[in-house]
Amino acid sequence: MRDALLMGRLTASATHEMQNILATIRESSGLMEDLLALGGENFAHAERFKKGLTVLAEQVERGMMLTEQLNFCAHAPEPCSAGADVNEAVRALVGLSRRSAARCKTNLVLAPGRSGLRTSLRAVQVMDAVGAALEAALSALPLGSQLLLSVEEQGGLALVRLDSPGFEALRETTAWPELAALAKALGIGLSPGPGGLGVVLALPRSIA
Amino acid sequence: MNAKDWKILLVDDEREFITTLAERLELRGIPARVAFDGESALEAIAAEEPHVVVLDVLMPGIKGLEVLERVKRTNPQVQVLLLTGHGSTRDGIEGMRLGAYDYMMKPLNIDTLIEKMESAIDYALKAAALPGKSDGQ
Repeated sequence: MRDALLMGRLTASATHEMQNILATIRESSGLMEDLLALGGENFAHAERFKKGLTVLAEQVERGMMLTEQLNFCAHAPEPCSAGADVNEAVRALVGLSRRSAARCKTNLVLAPGRSGLRTSLRAVQVMDAVGAALEAALSALPLGSQLLLSVEEQGGLALVRLDSPGFEALRETTAWPELAALAKALGIGLSPGPGGLGVVLALPRSIA
Repeated sequence: MNAKDWKILLVDDEREFITTLAERLELRGIPARVAFDGESALEAIAAEEPHVVVLDVLMPGIKGLEVLERVKRTNPQVQVLLLTGHGSTRDGIEGMRLGAYDYMMKPLNIDTLIEKMESAIDYALKAAALPGKSDGQ
């Protein structure tokens, strides 16, 4: 765990720097917008200039989302007496996994979930287990698929559900043995989703 | 109070960020001074009391929350808006407990910043007008 905590500290420091960089870019491009509005509209490239500024603004937003997710990861290895917030952990994982999913031409969708659902596991353990399930699912899904994840509560337990592919298809992937071993080590229950589709991870109850 | 009469102090060790922000406020008719660390900020406040200080929480040297505590002791009517990052929202909440008027996360939206500065100044003016009131927060 010590190595994960070290990486977390370094990542937290880096994401703070990234936020400063994004803030500086936002202010500088904002200043350019202000100056354009003040009298630069007549110059020949005004429209292209404005388009460039719009792109800058969109990229800053994209960067902000990424740094928020990375910052969550930075703190994910830390023990928390209240237990990890499952929805936040899955949200960060899904956000950071979109690129890998896109390489498999799969669209990841996270259903809106209730915040405050907790587990006794650390956030990094939740992300590790759900990440392993995600890896198995991505390897089994055909190109152009959509994969829906959701966080629910049942009987006081937090459940993370991946809705595809079929459970048996998942068990045949090369990623499954690692998921099964990890789930066993962490006390996570693995079961098929409704109709045998997908997989449900039942996380250990929060102690708090 | 007219925005051109506001006295604003911006404090952040990210020089490009804070000088550009000051320039954008000036374009909107809002004069703003800048300081790049806690020590300079305290000197600037002692030299001329601002209405609002916009203060980064994470700076080398004297940290933002310590600057906040000192300002609320020596210049209680000065309103402080804290600037935090995602990893330091706890500092923002702690800052409110120590007397900050509000906190904002970077990167910030300048229109939202101006609204909060206006609200902070209105609050301070009303607090100063109340009989027997000695502290702005």
